[in-house]
Amino acid sequence: MPQITTRKELHVTKSFLRYVLMALGLAFCTCTVAYGMAFGPHPHPSPEIDPGMAISALTLLAGSLAVLRIRRNK
Amino acid sequence: MNQPNGASTEVESFRSILGVRLPAHLLGRLYFLFILVAIEYLFCFGGRGTIPGQSIPGHLTFYGENTDTYGQIPIFAFLVFLGFGHFRLKVLQENISFGRILFACHLLCMAVVLAFTVAARMGLTWQLFDTYSYTKSAFYVVGTALLALACVPLESWRAAIRATGRLWLYASLAGVAGWWFGSQVRLLWGATMTAQSGIMQRATLRAVGAVLGHFLPDLVVDPATFTIGTSRYAVVIAGGCSGVEGLGLVLIFISLWLWVYRKETRFPQAFLLIPCALGCSWLLNILRLCALILIGNAGGSIAFQTGFHIQAGWIAFTVVALAFSLATQKISWMRKMPALASGNTGNLPGGGMGNIPGSSMHLLVQSGESPATRAYLLPFLAILIAATVSKLVSGYFDWLYPLRFIASAIVLWYFWPELKKINWRFGWFGPAAGVAVFLLWIAPAWFASLGWAHQPAASRLGADLASLSPLARWTWIAFRVAAAVITVPIAEELAFRGYLARRLINREFDQVSFTRLTAFSIVLSSVVFGMEHMKNLMDWQHLALGTLAGLAFAAALRWRGRMGDAVVAHAVSNLLLAAWVLGFGDWAQW
Repeated sequence: MPQITTRKELHVTKSFLRYVLMALGLAFCTCTVAYGMAFGPHPHPSPEIDPGMAISALTLLAGSLAVLRIRRNK
Repeated sequence: MNQPNGASTEVESFRSILGVRLPAHLLGRLYFLFILVAIEYLFCFGGRGTIPGQSIPGHLTFYGENTDTYGQIPIFAFLVFLGFGHFRLKVLQENISFGRILFACHLLCMAVVLAFTVAARMGLTWQLFDTYSYTKSAFYVVGTALLALACVPLESWRAAIRATGRLWLYASLAGVAGWWFGSQVRLLWGATMTAQSGIMQRATLRAVGAVLGHFLPDLVVDPATFTIGTSRYAVVIAGGCSGVEGLGLVLIFISLWLWVYRKETRFPQAFLLIPCALGCSWLLNILRLCALILIGNAGGSIAFQTGFHIQAGWIAFTVVALAFSLATQKISWMRKMPALASGNTGNLPGGGMGNIPGSSMHLLVQSGESPATRAYLLPFLAILIAATVSKLVSGYFDWLYPLRFIASAIVLWYFWPELKKINWRFGWFGPAAGVAVFLLWIAPAWFASLGWAHQPAASRLGADLASLSPLARWTWIAFRVAAAVITVPIAEELAFRGYLARRLINREFDQVSFTRLTAFSIVLSSVVFGMEHMKNLMDWQHLALGTLAGLAFAAALRWRGRMGDAVVAHAVSNLLLAAWVLGFGDWAQW
């Protein structure tokens, strides 16, 4: 029985760590993008990523990925 | 619905509410609720949070944090709950009702919150005893609770919690942890008063200084203001310039890629690519800043600097993302057989081959996009690449516009043996749709000229063209018109209607008849087409006009199932628009 309890505890700890890691990843991504691309007044006049170019840049990326994933004719 | 077998629940997986189809089952409804809550949070609070210790006027502050940042806790927690409870919640297949009255009350609450938000953005002060903040927060909390109950009745919430055990507790703790971590991460690039803040800025400043020190003997670095440059040209490395935006985008892209193609990727080998991609992104930003300072110091024009500054970040991100995706596909150590890994071959074309021993190579070959994708997408991608290059070097006036025409013309010529199999004939409907789209497109300008609407922002294109020699001016205009009437309609129709609208129906898009386009594929491809015509992220007018134009072109295509009708409609509208621009000098339309 003590072994089962330990396994349970290990499982709970592992599960909790998974949740925390996922939340940390989400937090990092969202706050980073929100900081860089939030609408409204932007405090930086010359950002690394210009939101105005987002759509054409992402379209180019998505289209390029689709072409790169074309299956080979064999 | 009342039948125990799965057939009826499959049919009733969506529920029509006021003409909108909502997911009928718990899991779908929870995802729907999450999307609504996230969108409303973004609209009500901007979703950006603040540096701890700094307050926003009009927001409550508890323990040094604005109330809007606390909204991230339930959002993170909810997503964790959905992510880890997905399979256990999926089992609950009972149809659930939708509380229309509760939803109406929710809309009222959100209207109040939005009114407060708009008032604050307009600079209206209404903060007697800070009641404004309390009121807004209270309405937001009540409104969100009403939404949650409208989408998922109380009984279904209880069932969800019963099915997922203590997940709600772990998700809540994870939400708090995520929120706290996020607030600490922001300190990395915020130039605030705390000792640990601005780490990214300092690191970038030092790296740029180390590189430029070899080229510029008179380099001046001021760590106090994050300024670096020479007496002729200097830049301030603000938080947004420190590389953190690229890191965030790359991280999101990698996460999505690894999740979507998890069955084709070997783990944990693929995780090694994450630090490589992040490192490349950061280094490319260093190079971008170095190049910018070198260009400015060498006397580069403001227009060139502007174009370079705007484009370089996106180019760097695109390069890193493509390199990452190529690495996961081409390095065999990180790639595994997709169909063999999933063990499911039913959805693959020629399904059943997977059951034949020794057919693994065939399955791998069959897992990608259709080979026809090249001919349909590359003409449009050529335009986008040429536009990126021309904007990179030209700044405000796109003097390299002819490059777009030439690039797409070459690609169309190259793929013409394949493209000529398409039905390019057209009837009366194509030109008629083109005239209708043209009238729709100029309607706002026409209303503005009559004083019925706001005047659009003035365009400097006319002045830029006037400054050119007559030969250069008319050459530019000739290429602009030729592109608008010939290459752009063909390339865009191939990409949006020929590829995207059909790809949304089936991976083997070239086997889908144009007459079989669905309402969903037409609307979604038209919205993407409209987004492509937005001049900035807030350009709702061109989003709406582009979407309507896309719908009209799709209708022309579907009418007789001929690509020629859509292309002619597009070409006619662009031709009339060019005539309008040249005839009336309405350069803002270009």
